[in-house]
Amino acid sequence: MAAITEPANATPAAPGGDAARYLRIEGVRKEFDGFVAVDDVSLDIRKGEIFALLGGSGSGKSTLLRCLAGFERPTKGRIVLDGEVMNDLPPYERPINMMFQSYALFPHMTVEQNIAFGLKQDGLSKDAIRKRVGEMLELVQLGKLAKRKPHQLSGGQQQRVALARSLAKGPKLLLLDEPMGALDKKLRSRMQLELVNIIETSGVTCVMVTHDQEEAMTMATRIALMDQGWIQQVGKPDEIYEQPANRFAAEFIGSVNLVDAVIDDDQPEYVTLRAPAFDAPIYVGHGITGFEGQAVSFALRPEKLGIGKDEPEQPHNKARGTIEDIAYFGSHSVYHVRLPSGFKLMANFTNQQRWASDALTWGDEVWLWWADNDGVVLTS
Amino acid sequence: MNARALKRFVPSGRWAVIAVPFLWLLLFFAIPFLIVLKISFSRLAIAMPPYTPIVEVVDKALTLRLNLGNYAALFTDSQYILAYLSSIKIAAVSTLLCLAIGYPMAYFIARMKPSTRNIALMAVVLPSWISFLLRVYAWVGILDANGLLNRFLLWTGLVDAPLRILYTPLAAYIGIVYCYLPFMVLPLYANLAKLDLRLLEAAYDLGAKPWQAFLRITLPLSRSGIIAGCMLVMIPAVGEFVIPEMLGGPDTLMIGRVLWGEFFNNRDWPAASAVAIVMLLLLLVPILVFNRYQHKEMEGRLT
Repeated sequence: MAAITEPANATPAAPGGDAARYLRIEGVRKEFDGFVAVDDVSLDIRKGEIFALLGGSGSGKSTLLRCLAGFERPTKGRIVLDGEVMNDLPPYERPINMMFQSYALFPHMTVEQNIAFGLKQDGLSKDAIRKRVGEMLELVQLGKLAKRKPHQLSGGQQQRVALARSLAKGPKLLLLDEPMGALDKKLRSRMQLELVNIIETSGVTCVMVTHDQEEAMTMATRIALMDQGWIQQVGKPDEIYEQPANRFAAEFIGSVNLVDAVIDDDQPEYVTLRAPAFDAPIYVGHGITGFEGQAVSFALRPEKLGIGKDEPEQPHNKARGTIEDIAYFGSHSVYHVRLPSGFKLMANFTNQQRWASDALTWGDEVWLWWADNDGVVLTS
Repeated sequence: MNARALKRFVPSGRWAVIAVPFLWLLLFFAIPFLIVLKISFSRLAIAMPPYTPIVEVVDKALTLRLNLGNYAALFTDSQYILAYLSSIKIAAVSTLLCLAIGYPMAYFIARMKPSTRNIALMAVVLPSWISFLLRVYAWVGILDANGLLNRFLLWTGLVDAPLRILYTPLAAYIGIVYCYLPFMVLPLYANLAKLDLRLLEAAYDLGAKPWQAFLRITLPLSRSGIIAGCMLVMIPAVGEFVIPEMLGGPDTLMIGRVLWGEFFNNRDWPAASAVAIVMLLLLLVPILVFNRYQHKEMEGRLT
């Protein structure tokens, strides 16, 4: 197999809560009237990590999160947190708190009262509550707004109140449901890092759900990519990006050129592929699990491609075509190059110079090339 | 003179739209109210109409004679005071009963699936399609000594002799609660249906059991619905005449009946008008309180 993925299944039930497997999701399945929303998902989540469930709508990520929070009961499987089985506990008895999508702050309570809600529920003394609320307000830097009502706060402030409220009880597990969903783009990137800092300060283990790959990559230490109730791949952000496990993972994260190809020569140290779209063969500088004649996909990220007017010297890993479209992003441009076969390749070009005089333009004949280990062979 | 300056003096379309309800209020509320107010300051007279004018020309002098005797009588004659107190008591108890019955109804209707919800709402509203009088009269048939209820109770053997319910205050309570229940359920429903269920999930998530979440989230957030429903029941119930008259029997003292008696039996229009004006003032206070509360809440939402 081409991809190096972490094992996403087969976790024998071990007693006690070791740090590497602080939260264990064991074969969890959730059906709604015959529709399978979550399909036998198994995951181990380490203590203190920020773990992202990434997927589109209907991927089952939110259902899985609701199973963790206790709002849904798994049809099958176990959820074990710190050695304790959660399945039969109602949400109000779980040591798990959630920051809801669009926050669900109590509109009739002040910031302080919102944060104190869970503490009051625990029957803490007034002094203890006041002290803890004070700590929380300091953690999210909202001390001045303690007496405000939620509707008097900006989106970013509301988010920090919601975070403080969900951290106030010192949960063993923090759940974030689309944490940035209600914020505008500019605020989003700032709050992502701020949120991560606060979560890391508090040291809580965190599972977040998002449909935004950038958000997952920025915030999470590890990502589980979900589709149609299945885990497609689990890994660190760079692993998922650079070593996608399959076509879905490659296409979901970032942009990619996916070329149909056939294994031509399968050697232990290298592989060559033949792609009908390219004239030159594809040379991969490492062995893969496959057989000669097998149909595969070759995934190539646009930023891995070189683009220029001169033909590269290498006999393989190159293609010639004409520039059909240019998408200008400021920091870089994406060239859409049409090959003689009709196949279109995207190539990124970093705009290092201002007003480059020799800039490529529409209709130019160009060569594209890539290094031996820049692409990924996908067998599924 | 340019067109814009002229425009300031010509009534705009907006003005015409506002004028219609204002005219309505003037014709059907303000003017009748002023007439009643005027009559309340006059004296009873054997004449047509049966009261003295308050503005007269005496010795070529225009004189205004305000008779405060009708109001004085209200506060000295214990019959009136008792009637006011009894009306308020009956209305208040009926309102609380309506709330106790209506809140769970509204709550469960708001939680129903949309398809069944409409049927349930229809069932709440449907009785109003039948004449109010007929519905009250139907209760005579139910509560009578030979009525449906007593026959059923005798048949089951729960009682040996028919219960005397009709023409007691209990029957008036039953009638008022029955007739005004929709006015409690509908505003409460409108309020509870709006409730964001994620707030309840957030409360559970933070450790609140369902009943605690109800007390700390649902109940406080439905406060404006509770107040609206209580106003809609309480205000008309205080002045209720038909139900105590038809079901309540002589023991059920309510200000509406006193008013009726003054007006039709005693033909004492001035006294009846004074009773009406004081009743209006009694009702105005809670309305103003309600308005202020709503205003405050609106302000809170907007800032």
